[in-house]
Amino acid sequence: MTRYLSIRLLLTLITFWVIVTLVFFLLRLAPGGPFDGERRLPPEVEQNLRVAYNLDQPLPRQYLNYLSMLGHGDLGPSFKQKDFSVAELVISGLPVSLAVGVMALLIALTGGIALGTWAGLNTGTKTDLLIMGTANIGLAVPAIVVAPLLALVFAVWLGWLPAGGIGGPQYFLLPAAALSLPFVAAIARLTRGSVAETLQEPHITTAMAKGLPRRRIIRYHVLPIALLPVLSYIGPAAAALLTGSVVVEQIFELPGIGRYFVQAALNRDYTLVMGVVIVYAAFILLFNLLVDVCYARLDPRIRLRS
Amino acid sequence: MNSHWLRQALFGSTLAAACSAWLALMVLAALAGPALSPWDPQAINWDALENPPSSSHWLGTDMVGRDLLTRIMLGARVSLSVALIATAVSVIIGIPYGTLAGYLGGRADQLMMRIVDTLYALPFILIVILLVVVFGRSPLLLFAALGAVFWLDIARIVRGQTLRIRESDYIAAARIQGAGPVRILIRHLIPNVLGPAVVYATLTVPGVILAESFISFLGLGVQEPDTSWGVLIADGALNMESAPWALVFPALALAATVWSLNMLGDRLRDQLDVQAARV
Amino acid sequence: MAVSSKRIDFNRTPLRRRVIASAIVIFWVCASAASVAQPDTVLRLGNPGEPQTLDPHRYNLRLEETLLTDLFMGLTTFAADGSTIPGVASSWQVSDDGLRWTFKLRPDLIWSDGQPLTADDFVFAYRRLQAPATAASLAYFMYPLKNAAAVNAGKMPGAALGVSAPDPRTLILELEQPYPHLLETLLYPTAYPLPRHAIEAHGDNWVKAENWVSNGAYRLQEWRPQAYVQLTANPHYDPAPAITEVFYYPLANEQTAYNRYRAGEVDAIATFPSGELAYAKRELSTDLRSSVQLSIMYLVFNTRVEPFSDPRVREALAMMMQPEVLTDKVQRSGNLASRSFVPAMVSDYEPVPGPQYQLSLPERLSRGKMLLAEAGYSASRPLEITLRYISGGETKRTALAIAAFWKPLGVKTQLHQAELKVHFADLRQGDFQVAQAGWIGENNAEHYLSLLISDTGDVNYGGFADNQFDALMAAARQEADLAERNRLLRLADERAVGLYPVVPMYSLGVRRLVNPKLRGWQNTPRDVHPVRFLSLEP
Repeated sequence: MTRYLSIRLLLTLITFWVIVTLVFFLLRLAPGGPFDGERRLPPEVEQNLRVAYNLDQPLPRQYLNYLSMLGHGDLGPSFKQKDFSVAELVISGLPVSLAVGVMALLIALTGGIALGTWAGLNTGTKTDLLIMGTANIGLAVPAIVVAPLLALVFAVWLGWLPAGGIGGPQYFLLPAAALSLPFVAAIARLTRGSVAETLQEPHITTAMAKGLPRRRIIRYHVLPIALLPVLSYIGPAAAALLTGSVVVEQIFELPGIGRYFVQAALNRDYTLVMGVVIVYAAFILLFNLLVDVCYARLDPRIRLRS
Repeated sequence: MNSHWLRQALFGSTLAAACSAWLALMVLAALAGPALSPWDPQAINWDALENPPSSSHWLGTDMVGRDLLTRIMLGARVSLSVALIATAVSVIIGIPYGTLAGYLGGRADQLMMRIVDTLYALPFILIVILLVVVFGRSPLLLFAALGAVFWLDIARIVRGQTLRIRESDYIAAARIQGAGPVRILIRHLIPNVLGPAVVYATLTVPGVILAESFISFLGLGVQEPDTSWGVLIADGALNMESAPWALVFPALALAATVWSLNMLGDRLRDQLDVQAARV
Repeated sequence: MAVSSKRIDFNRTPLRRRVIASAIVIFWVCASAASVAQPDTVLRLGNPGEPQTLDPHRYNLRLEETLLTDLFMGLTTFAADGSTIPGVASSWQVSDDGLRWTFKLRPDLIWSDGQPLTADDFVFAYRRLQAPATAASLAYFMYPLKNAAAVNAGKMPGAALGVSAPDPRTLILELEQPYPHLLETLLYPTAYPLPRHAIEAHGDNWVKAENWVSNGAYRLQEWRPQAYVQLTANPHYDPAPAITEVFYYPLANEQTAYNRYRAGEVDAIATFPSGELAYAKRELSTDLRSSVQLSIMYLVFNTRVEPFSDPRVREALAMMMQPEVLTDKVQRSGNLASRSFVPAMVSDYEPVPGPQYQLSLPERLSRGKMLLAEAGYSASRPLEITLRYISGGETKRTALAIAAFWKPLGVKTQLHQAELKVHFADLRQGDFQVAQAGWIGENNAEHYLSLLISDTGDVNYGGFADNQFDALMAAARQEADLAERNRLLRLADERAVGLYPVVPMYSLGVRRLVNPKLRGWQNTPRDVHPVRFLSLEP
């Protein structure tokens, strides 16, 4: 297991390094970007960039300087927001994005596993079709449609929840709900297939034949194995949640990293865009690594192999 | 590969047939719709701003009086062509990569697949947005960027398929006959993985359509006067209380298309698994 | 052995119970939290966007000015009805030749951190405004001061500026020429005093909340980007305002602003979708405030580059503008069509409509085509341009309409949108071909016309430079007599419109929703509502 994990760690570090280097060169190549000599910049921005990125130095020096900046957690000055640096914006936005993402993940897991188990235990019946049909709708209707509709119904017409901004956990509920829908569907599908499959396993059928209580069997024998694929799905799900949060943050006007990212993209705030991509990448790679560790501990096949 | 299973997948049940019909309709609408429609999708009409559906405008008009149905058909053109081209790009990258990995096997294969695994984890939309920001909003770049992000699944499937066929008698026979590795790759392996590859490619199409709609919704994709479903939804959301039809109809078109593609893709994949099990 | 096909009684599995329990808990938390009432000393306002900076010398946008009006007070200030009244100055005198203004400051003025405010803070601020290193876009507002233009261009040192403080309570302003509108100009943030001690201590970081010092009714408590700007009452400001805390939310999206207002989360919003106007008139008539603002929205051509360096191309496109169609048919939101660059609302000034309006529409179309052909464009080589607009429902509609106006000329228009503050940042850098622009300004013609003077700086977005126009403006400014001054300004105006550097469209209608419990809110020509005059009914 340690060997498996060390390979993963090494690959993760290499991927991150590749991304950082790519970002560095993209920034310098961008036509009309901050380092394009043609562009006329406001003097204070030019000054900030010059100081931060050592533009007078040769390229290798700049690169090393950039790496050391990242090592210190300094992501450079924002190209368009004069009063803030990229790191300041990221730090202020991170808790919001995390809150929404975690809430969405919880909703997706509870809802998806519950629905998927229900369908998986009753495959082929009308209930199964109904659940899966509805779940598939969650996959087809994108957040850009669901989110405004949720805001309209729950915030404006019913007044149960706020329509935007921040101030407490209730402000995250609608965005998290809008965000989680496709994941509820995906997890439900995964769980259903996996539960149905596991139910066919010999040791399960034997246990059932022996007359052990159904609920016990499902809880302690079926689910733990059936949920393994869901666990490995959480990694890519986290990545997708982050990207999805970009849209819901925009619609609900939440000051998360996703919102800064979109605004930065529209504003051509290159340094902010780059900074956010690096932070996202770091985050996701880390998260996947953690999921790999959990998976390795739980899946007996991996554990036993090493 | 006989086509019976294909027909079974696409038309086997009423639901599947309905989905296939809808998709065919969308393709037809994208190709011929704007030409057949009496309304010019760019024509602004001051006197018919945000009109509800009526006998002259079947789905109503948008914020500057353009006929919504024609705009949706025009949007279909962009959304579907982005999906097709991006999928094509992903297939062009994914098939050679996957076949090579499967064929080489051993350490090389492990390495190539680990790379795929790690890349899989990255937030692809963000990377597409990044590329769009840096290099500008050209549609060609959008296709290429989306395609370059979606090839991972194809590569995985193709590699699995290659591993399966690699040890078959058929390939062994070719080798005995003196065929070199390149020849085996091109003449024997790739044609055999094409089938499953294409099936899985169809499963990426809905993902690409959604990705393009996200990016256009945010204002980073297709620009006026061109349009796509994502742009139409964004415009519709601007005034959703006073003109809900401008949001509902494009959203329905998008959702129905994605849903149908998912549904058919699932059926195709199920049939494929049955076929593989038979072999 | 086959798996039993008996249905699993899902109702009894623990998972479902857990899900239901969590749902109940979540909703209970939300319901109780949502019903927490807002104290009536806290005001929540919608601003049309995110500010780029809160430094009074670096601001540019109206929404930044709104914040700064609450944070600072200059020599003069706004009354609740929008008129000009004394601010930190208690009295003033003008010399006979109109070139020397002497202001007496009120006694015992203090900054929000307790430090005394003296005339030196004004001297420091005015010099900093003109210092080339500050790169202030609106430095030209204070060009009436002696040597200001020269100092701003780096040709003279800051000490040469016509401002001095013989004693801590006296400020003397020396002007280049008599300037009858000085008191109105002193309302702007460019004329505020700045805390010298804070700026010298913290440099550019003085604008951060932890270092913030100002002299208005409020001080900066926190600025959370894209979330809110929070102001709290300045303990050293007298009389203490009824509202002690203000949150300004950046609500650029009209629909979101509208949703949040109706959900009761915001007490006043700056705009809402024009499609909702009919509904608002019926159901929200107590909340609705509409008026026309002293402003001009226009298209600006970048005269520095192709194709708009060619006056024929500008004229051709200007020919096709139809302001009444824009306001009455496309927008229908209370905007007032304007054929002249100086808004008709300006007192004592006869507006100068563009010469193209003397022709009928078909005549304009044929003239436009002829001009484009002369400039070298034809069906095989059509004119392709990019029109920039500010993200938003109404602005997008307007941009689409303008593109449609130009279509009969054979012009292919691409649209490009950007967030408000970035749109104007790009404009100030000259990064555009033709763009929507707007100016909310003073009640005098030269305020608007000075946007076209060649040395005004980067708010002359298009870089328009015409010697004759400059000369006419300079002559007008020499005039002390207001009527004669306006006559000369009109000549300059006529000169400029004939060259089509800009195409005026309309004056902005104000379309606001304001909580009926908010007392003290009045319609003002410049749509200014300092929070210190407001209070919330319990």
